[in-house]
Amino acid sequence: MIYRIALLVALAVLASGCVATNYTLVAPGARAFEGMQVSATSGWNQAPSMNTPSMQKGAVLWTHDGPLLDQLIIIPGVADGEPLMKSSNKSAAMPVFKKDMLPNEIEELTESTFVKYFGEGNAVVTTKNLRPQRYGENRGVMFDVDATVSDSPKYRGTAGAFVANDKLYMLFFLGAVPHYYDKHSAAATSVIQSAMLTGGSNVPVSK
Amino acid sequence: MSQTRPVVLLAYLLACWPVFGAESETLEHRIPPGYEPIEAEDELGLWMEMREYEQALKQSALLVRDPDVNDYLQEIVCRVAAGYCNDFRVYLIRNPDFNASMTATGMMQVWTGLIVRANSTDEIAAVIGHEISHYTLLHSLATLRALKKKLATGTFVDIALILATGYGTGLGQTMAALSVMSFSREQETEADLLGVRLLAEAAYDPHASYGIWQKIIAEEEAAEVKREKPGAFGKTHPDAKLRAAYLKELVTARYGPPDAEAVADQRLLSVLNNNYMLLMEDQLDTNRYGRTKELLERHAALGVEPSLVRYFYGEMFRQRGKDGDRDLAKSAYLHSIELGNAPAKAYSNLGYLYLKEGEIESAKTHFAKYLEIDPDASDREMIEFYLED
Repeated sequence: MIYRIALLVALAVLASGCVATNYTLVAPGARAFEGMQVSATSGWNQAPSMNTPSMQKGAVLWTHDGPLLDQLIIIPGVADGEPLMKSSNKSAAMPVFKKDMLPNEIEELTESTFVKYFGEGNAVVTTKNLRPQRYGENRGVMFDVDATVSDSPKYRGTAGAFVANDKLYMLFFLGAVPHYYDKHSAAATSVIQSAMLTGGSNVPVSK
Repeated sequence: MSQTRPVVLLAYLLACWPVFGAESETLEHRIPPGYEPIEAEDELGLWMEMREYEQALKQSALLVRDPDVNDYLQEIVCRVAAGYCNDFRVYLIRNPDFNASMTATGMMQVWTGLIVRANSTDEIAAVIGHEISHYTLLHSLATLRALKKKLATGTFVDIALILATGYGTGLGQTMAALSVMSFSREQETEADLLGVRLLAEAAYDPHASYGIWQKIIAEEEAAEVKREKPGAFGKTHPDAKLRAAYLKELVTARYGPPDAEAVADQRLLSVLNNNYMLLMEDQLDTNRYGRTKELLERHAALGVEPSLVRYFYGEMFRQRGKDGDRDLAKSAYLHSIELGNAPAKAYSNLGYLYLKEGEIESAKTHFAKYLEIDPDASDREMIEFYLED
């Protein structure tokens, strides 16, 4: 009996639209997320929330060919003391964002977070080419990422991040090398570099 | 530590000690060197699967391919395995956790986390001896056969329960799975016992067999975030404290007390020093500062290159970021630099700490020194931005 009730509740939740179950098309153009906006020059597919249990509220995963081959993760407005991703494992020791973090620490936070995302011990995530990047009126950073994951292809990618109003805004792209990274890197980088606070105005990249 | 743990430990030792004593003396290898299955279909199938897995593993980007550290492990394997030396292939996997494993075909995986945690080559040899024992005792095949038999029985029980009650409970399958885990714990104990004998026969210190577990226990106690433990019936391995206790009892009874505290040999120190950046950067990425601090304390005592150990103290304190950690990190970086063999990053990360405190000139001095030491630094653009800002 209890199984039937659970099944009915699950069906009711799905029918109410509380949990997205299908990929949805993201058309080219501007998109807003929890205080941040980005502009996509090409279409993407947004993963359903039930496929992305590690994502914090408001975060989304976009892909062209499926998350195993390419993924662009957009994480808006991480508050001081909060992790970039969530984990149901109480012993996961997720790293947290601190509002006074400098570029090197944001780079380290990203490495450690994505080690946990892929499974601690199953992945090695390294970063390089840390550089300044402007996001609208905010200073931020970009850096390149390599991720080696057990039983998966090798990934390469790019991350962009800025801190505004004591919150972290992060965009993170990974593509399987060589083909899928090469295929989608330009489109993903364009989305990352277009990020800014909602209502802000993007200016040409400068120091 | 829970109140019940010492009672459980005592009960376990009392119940098992005579068995350990008797079994450890009579345990023998169940296969000869160069063994390959000939007839049994399930064993042939298991070997085929494992050989395919090994082919895939050879392509893994997580393999550490440095010849020096691989030669080091291969030498230990051959010394412990003696006549079985040619039966094994060792693969060092980049994983900061503590583990090693063995397949039925002799494919051994050692995680880098074992090398980080060992105080001596003898402790690495102890883990390798345990894995070799799994192989020569045919444990993988026995597990496969037990699993098939118990799951078949479990399925029969489940069908009978459905017919009798009308409900599918999965009870039979659950009981079968628990029974297999218990079987696995028995195998682990067997491998511990034979492993000690192989260790001693290879002229390694048998006291290292429990020494490595004492390190794991100390690390767990130092952890700020404890690992979730499976329930008593869900464990595939005996508890670390139980293993350390029964191995210590057995080794001391058979070989006498240890001569002296285990000390790192030059070969292990060389392996640690040559690979320290990779090993400890992976450890730092686990975000487990209590454990990292415990490892650093141990490495400092072992005599690992002091500049490197101090640098990682700086990294650990800076990334942990508790009250007072910034000062501890600065002091550790400065100490690392003073010792004369600091990584270039000691300068840039010290520069960032000064930047945070508004000491701009000190920050710029250290950023400039960083670029002087490492002109091809990949974050040069970021550092130049601060130098010009």
